[in-house]
Amino acid sequence: MNCVTDYGYPIRPVYGPRDIEGIDYGRDLGDPGSFPYTRGYHPEGYRSRMWTRRMTAGLGSSRDANRVLKKYREMGQTGGLCVIHDRVSSSCIDADHPMARHENGVLGWPGSSLLEFEELMEDIPLTGQSITLLGCCAPAALRLAYVVALAEKRGDALREIHGSVTESPFSNVFGQTDVQPFDLNMKLFLDSSEYIVRNRIRMRAGLVGQHFQESGGNNAQLLAIELSMLKEICGRLVEERGLDFDEVMRVPYQLASIGTRFFEEIAKVRALRRMWARMAKERFGAKSEKSCQLLIAVHTSGRTMTYQQPLNNLVRCAIQTLAGAIAGCTAIDNATLDNAYAEPSPLAARMSLNTQHIVAVETGAAEVVDPLAGSYFVESLTNEVEAAAYRILGEIDARGGLVAAIEQGYIESMLKNEASRKFRELENRERLVVGVNHLAIPPEEELFRIPIQEVEASDSAAIARRMADWKAARAMAPIEACARRLHEDAGKGERFNLMPAIIEAVKAYATAGEIMGVIRQARGLKYDPFGMIECPFRLH
Amino acid sequence: MLGRGIKLIVSMIGLDSHTTGAQVIATLLREAGFEVVYLGTNQTPAMIVKAAIEEDVDVIGISSHASNFVLLDELLDLVREHGLSDVPVVCGGNIPPAQAERLLARGVARVFPPGTSGETIVEYLAAQGRGRGASAPRRP
Repeated sequence: MNCVTDYGYPIRPVYGPRDIEGIDYGRDLGDPGSFPYTRGYHPEGYRSRMWTRRMTAGLGSSRDANRVLKKYREMGQTGGLCVIHDRVSSSCIDADHPMARHENGVLGWPGSSLLEFEELMEDIPLTGQSITLLGCCAPAALRLAYVVALAEKRGDALREIHGSVTESPFSNVFGQTDVQPFDLNMKLFLDSSEYIVRNRIRMRAGLVGQHFQESGGNNAQLLAIELSMLKEICGRLVEERGLDFDEVMRVPYQLASIGTRFFEEIAKVRALRRMWARMAKERFGAKSEKSCQLLIAVHTSGRTMTYQQPLNNLVRCAIQTLAGAIAGCTAIDNATLDNAYAEPSPLAARMSLNTQHIVAVETGAAEVVDPLAGSYFVESLTNEVEAAAYRILGEIDARGGLVAAIEQGYIESMLKNEASRKFRELENRERLVVGVNHLAIPPEEELFRIPIQEVEASDSAAIARRMADWKAARAMAPIEACARRLHEDAGKGERFNLMPAIIEAVKAYATAGEIMGVIRQARGLKYDPFGMIECPFRLH
Repeated sequence: MLGRGIKLIVSMIGLDSHTTGAQVIATLLREAGFEVVYLGTNQTPAMIVKAAIEEDVDVIGISSHASNFVLLDELLDLVREHGLSDVPVVCGGNIPPAQAERLLARGVARVFPPGTSGETIVEYLAAQGRGRGASAPRRP
């Protein structure tokens, strides 16, 4: 077996004082709450603010997802909720689209209109907990509009609502694809971020490094990618949108994936805090200390959840949750023991939430900040992953930044090579996974059959029918007026902010397919990304 | 090179955009000598069958990341309708056992769950060649 990190650093059998000789406590670590924030942002850690313990929800209809959210609240998920779009609404097409009718409500929430958001949030407050909505970049502008619109309808003050509903355009470059073009995603992301900053909305935008790692990227690559994303996004918001950097930094947060190599995962998060703090000061001239503190949420790794002997995944999930907690983070959402099979069953969801509750209240891990600081091994790992990440970051910079590196195919081949390498390591048994390439058992010896969450085709069809009927029953004149304004605004150049027109259209119950279709058309694209349906509006 | 002379499709189906598994398998198969036609994402069953006919492939391989699997049923129907009964459809990915059994009964030739070794996949696919060139034209 190879004693080496996933980014190629050979681990020695023992570490000692000589391994941390060059470290200067004040310069490289600092107390918790002090620059460079290697040890975290809060002097008292979780004693002053516990991490948000949540599960990602979304499956079936909006009403189904609403029931699940209420159940999660009963299961102790009170700090914040997290919902992910289904594939259809992620693509910004509607449930009645020909490509959609078999996939509505698969893998997420079919949130392609304000109606769906109202159903999702029925009897659930928008305030008093964080609202996190995930799933692709283009629909994120709509998610922000849903929140603004529903807050207005309910009479909630927008400034009382916090969470994260938007997502960077990079999420869908890493091992997943998107039907909307990158430049459109980028424009919408800058629009929504600018809108958040200028209106002082307490909403964050996810820079989802998790996808990169779940698609096979290693820890050092992940750090380089996360920093490049921040550099690119902050740079554009400052330079193209004329925003102040310290204001811009109220927007991004990182969603990082945490695997089973316990110490390496903790070192990665510590290095990320330090690297960002330095970049904020040195590259962007941060004036506020807050701007040097990158908010980090953790997703335990779905990739590590095995199909074989799925109960073993409970153990993996516990180790990863403990690593995420010790690393220091603002929120954790867990993969589930049935991740390699289907969407989380109620049992699997409960086990994942309980895993977090056990780590939070029983282990003592939440009582002391950054408890592994000063460990010869962990400090060495923190330095090593940082050094390796700076090398990759240098390479990305030399190519002209992340967008340029993506256009040159550099990131895609980096990821592809890494995923293939990880597969080969399993094949050659250089990495062992219990139940898969080590101590495997024949299927008939599996002693426990986990419950499987079924996804019925009839549910998808029902969601499609409901969408078609509801669409036909809407008052079309106000929707068409909104579509015209949106079309006009979308023709006013890259920097003209579309959020006001999108919010107006969402309030009139225009759908994701309609809103994105009109924007696409104004940009010279086909109304429908699949070229299957025509624009229903007279836009001139 | 076990795969020499065998041509196959590796594709996602429908809106599934999780490409990592498909890409890893495509690389593995190319290295084993197979001729891989990688269709990528947003492929409807009709598009996959059209590609299978045009490319005259020996096998259709679908990578699937959690679904209700209706699109695979549609694909199987279309394969049959177009007289491609000599082209096995195999799939891999996050497919629960009950679905795997149903798909096998429905006509899928093999289901490769997560954790399947590359050797297993290569050996199975290497046995699926139709000896192209010698085979009769497929369409009526």
